[in-house]
Amino acid sequence: MLLQQLVNGLTLGSVYALIALGYTMVYGIIELINFAHGEIYMLGAYMGIVTFGLLTALHLTSPSSGATLFLMIVLAMLFCGACGITIERLAYRPLRNAPRLSPLISALGVSIFLQNFVMLAQGPRDKGFPHLFVHGGIDFPGGRLSAIQIFIMATSVLMMVALQLLVHRTKIGKAMRAAAQDKQMASLVGIDVDRIISVTFMIGSALAGVAGVMVGMYYGLINFFIGYIAGIKAFTAAVLGGIGSIPGAMLGGLLLGLIEALGAGYISSEYKDVFAFAILVLVLIFRPSGLLGADVSKRV
Amino acid sequence: MGRRWVWFWTAGAIVVLAIAQAYAASTITLGVAGPLTGDQGAIGEQLKNGTIIAVEEWNAKSGVLGKRIEIVWGDDQHDPKQAVSVAHKFVNAGVAGVIGHFNSSCSIPASTIYHDGKIVQISPGSTNPQLTERGLWNVFRTIGRDDQQGTIAAEFIVKKLKKTRIAVLHDKTTYGQGLADETVKTLEKAKIKPVYYGGITQGEKDFRPVLTAVKQKNPEALFYGGIYPEAILLTKQMRELGMKAIFVSGDGVWQQEYIDIAGNAAEGSFVTFTPDQTKIKEAQGFIKKHRERFGSDVGAYTTYSYVAANILLEAIAATKSEDGPKIADHIRKAKWNTALGSIQFDKKGDVLVSPFVVWEVKGGKFVEVK
Repeated sequence: MLLQQLVNGLTLGSVYALIALGYTMVYGIIELINFAHGEIYMLGAYMGIVTFGLLTALHLTSPSSGATLFLMIVLAMLFCGACGITIERLAYRPLRNAPRLSPLISALGVSIFLQNFVMLAQGPRDKGFPHLFVHGGIDFPGGRLSAIQIFIMATSVLMMVALQLLVHRTKIGKAMRAAAQDKQMASLVGIDVDRIISVTFMIGSALAGVAGVMVGMYYGLINFFIGYIAGIKAFTAAVLGGIGSIPGAMLGGLLLGLIEALGAGYISSEYKDVFAFAILVLVLIFRPSGLLGADVSKRV
Repeated sequence: MGRRWVWFWTAGAIVVLAIAQAYAASTITLGVAGPLTGDQGAIGEQLKNGTIIAVEEWNAKSGVLGKRIEIVWGDDQHDPKQAVSVAHKFVNAGVAGVIGHFNSSCSIPASTIYHDGKIVQISPGSTNPQLTERGLWNVFRTIGRDDQQGTIAAEFIVKKLKKTRIAVLHDKTTYGQGLADETVKTLEKAKIKPVYYGGITQGEKDFRPVLTAVKQKNPEALFYGGIYPEAILLTKQMRELGMKAIFVSGDGVWQQEYIDIAGNAAEGSFVTFTPDQTKIKEAQGFIKKHRERFGSDVGAYTTYSYVAANILLEAIAATKSEDGPKIADHIRKAKWNTALGSIQFDKKGDVLVSPFVVWEVKGGKFVEVK
């Protein structure tokens, strides 16, 4: 049972981590909690279904092939990335120098808008996700590791490694880190800060898009409201790990998933959210900047 | 703006108000409330379609008391807080009666507000006993109760399936937990103690952790008290974890969506619900009309909503009044010939006869178990 719960927890946790990355990257660079981020994840899941429908209706690919799955993920990433840039352009950039509360309210507005837009465009009902792609699994004593769980964990790890490389090994990553440290200094040395912020939104949103498609496949059921709970959980993960810190978001996501799975399995499923949030409260009391977060004032 | 313009606007406003007043006097409004949007939207649509057909039929016969009938919609999104605000909205709008809500957790808090507003409420889908057990004169339901339903489910598991290791889960709502508890009560009468009893959270998507804990107890059957969105996920995730337990649930899961989305995982599940409505002689006309009007077959609660709306409107017509207590009195006393056959209400507002039977998911359809 322990092994099975670890598998459950790590799968859930790697999804939380992927979404949490978007929160933490945006916070790291413009100190805004992007409440619309959960909705981007929801858009990703819908984009997955729409792509699937288009591809199979036009007979471009066979429904259960890997190519369909690949295209679903890629298109969801592109679409969500574009959404991220657009939202930043329309809802946050005009408020760049406004009091901190204004972009926060703007973010809530975007979130409500996106939810209702999807509800009207795609209908208020649950949508079933095609369950075609990843079948089978590995049985081990006391449990089962399904192929889709392996797929989710592997994809998440791949994305996180790619993100780490991007941030630490590329020029654009260097520019992102510079802009996170000090936007004014960064612009003085010739970094186009607005562009870097756009790129950050794009990357964070693309990751949420991947998470959306994968979760859609994992649960087989999506609706316009899934972004809300996922957003709250991922935000919790980001805060747990230390908001603004990329490894922190990954660690926070995995921890949150594990706490939920073990709490529900060993103590009580009714109180599983209580454990998750109790741990969050404890961490914030003893380490206000989160597990891996740097004290903002000492970050430079 | 000059002073004479003030006169102009005032005069305009008075004219508009007068027209609105005259219009209101020539219409009678019904409130219809339920989860019209959200993950239980499929049920909301059934409530909608049933009442729309009833109202259209009455309006074609020149309405009721010589007035046109209009529906005011109230979307509670299966959230008790929303349900209360919908109820206040209905009371303020002066509706002549309410069809709804669907979820017991919504119907119960809303019913006290309708009670204070002297408005009759007929629920087509709330099965929790507490709805009618609190002695409110204004509350009725056209569906049966969970103490009947839970007994049927438990007896079926014990006597027909002959299973003794039973796990029980519920969604922590008034309906879900209530139904689970009624089932447990009957199980305990047969000296069976559930091997697992626990709650899940509505709106969650990942139930693998709790299912893994359930699996540890080796249940032969799993009874779930709740509505179909979570039932879909539970069934699928159970099978993915390699659990073989038979899935048994109540009327909240009797929805085609459950089978369509859960697919193969749903095969062999059992659900308690009322006997096949499409076989009721009196319902044939309505079923045909529904197909013509909406291009689809009736759902689980469509006929119940249609009947509820008809009973309310007939009571208004018979008493020639929009006075809540008078209407309620008439509903309680009269015998009703409805699309569900003949119906009579007891003192509490429950239907006298409301059988529940067991349905099985077979070949992608619900099939009544004989």
